[in-house]
Amino acid sequence: MSSVALLTERRTFKRLRFAAPRLFATLLAFILAAIWLGPLALMVMTSIKPNKEFLNGPFALPIAPTFEPYQKVWEGLNFGVLMQNSVLYATTGSALAVLLALVPAFALSRFEIPGKKYVFALLLTGLILPQQTVLIPLYAVLRSLHLLDTRIGLIIVHGVYGMPAQILILRGFMTTIPREIEKAAQIEGATDFQIFTKIILPLSVPGIVVGYTLNFIAIWKEFVFALVFLNSENILPVTVGMLKLNSDRYITAFNLPAAGLVISQIPIVILFILTYRGISSGNFVGSVKG
Amino acid sequence: MMSRIDDERYSFLAFARNHVFVTLFGIVAPVLLFACFIGYPIVYTIYLSFFEWNGMAPTKTFVGLANYSYMFGDKYFYISLENNLKWLVVSLAFPVVLGFLIAYAMRVRAVYFPTLLRTAIFFPVTMSLVAVGLMFLLILNPIFGAFDTVLRALGLGFLVSEWFGDYRIAIYTLAFVGGWAFTGLPMIFYFAGIGDVPKETFDAARIEGAGHLRMMLRVALPQLRSVTAVVVMLTLFESLKAFDLIAVMTKGAPFGRTNVLGYLVYLESFWNSRFGYGATVSVAILVLSIAIATLMLGTVFRGAFDV
Repeated sequence: MSSVALLTERRTFKRLRFAAPRLFATLLAFILAAIWLGPLALMVMTSIKPNKEFLNGPFALPIAPTFEPYQKVWEGLNFGVLMQNSVLYATTGSALAVLLALVPAFALSRFEIPGKKYVFALLLTGLILPQQTVLIPLYAVLRSLHLLDTRIGLIIVHGVYGMPAQILILRGFMTTIPREIEKAAQIEGATDFQIFTKIILPLSVPGIVVGYTLNFIAIWKEFVFALVFLNSENILPVTVGMLKLNSDRYITAFNLPAAGLVISQIPIVILFILTYRGISSGNFVGSVKG
Repeated sequence: MMSRIDDERYSFLAFARNHVFVTLFGIVAPVLLFACFIGYPIVYTIYLSFFEWNGMAPTKTFVGLANYSYMFGDKYFYISLENNLKWLVVSLAFPVVLGFLIAYAMRVRAVYFPTLLRTAIFFPVTMSLVAVGLMFLLILNPIFGAFDTVLRALGLGFLVSEWFGDYRIAIYTLAFVGGWAFTGLPMIFYFAGIGDVPKETFDAARIEGAGHLRMMLRVALPQLRSVTAVVVMLTLFESLKAFDLIAVMTKGAPFGRTNVLGYLVYLESFWNSRFGYGATVSVAILVLSIAIATLMLGTVFRGAFDV
């Protein structure tokens, strides 16, 4: 055997030895990905299966795919109204949370405020508080303000409870904005308000987008507040409205809950695709770490 | 001589005078909002826990510690407490550890297609737990469920159980479903955290012949103490908050065996109209969160948040 051939053979062997653990790890990764994506794919498939095909087993491909379950669920649960409500709560609630958080985030990122650590302690309390602990008093507060079972009441609650997380996220982002620009502005005689509106706010747009998106998802997922504070059918969000899909009536019609949960996830999928880079890279994490 | 507290108060006033806009909208406004919507409710819950109230009557009856003594004799309180702790243990063992392993594997490029894996694991974080619950009700259904079918196909048919009917395993089923939906969060935190560790640290350990196990335990984890602290705290509060999945999947059945504290508050207050007792259980949740958090910050995570 010539030395060149020996060398290439050795190199292939070496490369293989290097790649083998990685291939094995990738195999494990694929199994994991299957465990996480499988249920979702299965739901999509189930949602277009006609009812009579269920005896074929959960993994049987649909023979005569149909969109009838979607139509049924959409009409049966009044999904259009549910979606409208959820979109309303998520857009306005997040906007309120971000609005409330902007100046505090500016204050905490830029100034050496005496007693700053107490403000942080308060924020963290708001962040970690189990919702159930404040359910009863909030219920009473909303009732005395005649905001129980109203859209505006729920939006206010979402806004205030989103605020602590938004302050932390925005503060984290604002601390990364270099100080030189505002130093120059300060020398020119700019006030805090001018620095905030003219410099910090425009530069914080990416941070605001990330914070807003996270809050949007959080409100879309939210269940407890909406369940307790709302009653009227026409103002319920998707999460509460979907509970009906759980009744015994649907026990033999798997395609209906499947279709329902696919619909409920569509807006988030769109959002996920639009903001994927910002969210799943974990860039927002730095702000929470403090 | 001026005491430290006086000093601080004085300088806050001085700060406020120089920065009116920032003080007003940056400190006073959020603290006021906090006081009304978060602080006051907490205080009110504690207050209410000493009363009996059906939620409708204009007057509340003061009962002293009766609610508390009732709670400590309440079978369902103990079942719920135990379930919350089981949930916490499962959450620490499954999503947190797995999240770390996946994040590490992606960062050291131990797998091909890391983005696919990351997206797959993270996606359920964006799903509402109501949707997750409905989904797993179908998948774990004893008759048509996909999960049992897979187990049988793998020759593991003997593992097939009544995932929700058997009172011994129902709470674990729920906790694992919760873990499935939660894994993406610890993963993202660790992914970002490992990204912040200087690459040279890993390279140096590599050159000295450290294997992956040593790299994880001796190199990555010690550098990630504050991330781990955040993740564990998040997991703790998620576990104590557990509610949605129970409301969707079991409603506490069988026989209240899958009740958790959060669901007990809801049941007692809004179904049994015992708002006083509901508040008492709320206080228990609050005390439990603070106690466990303080305990962890004082021991394992001592100094993890010092910047």
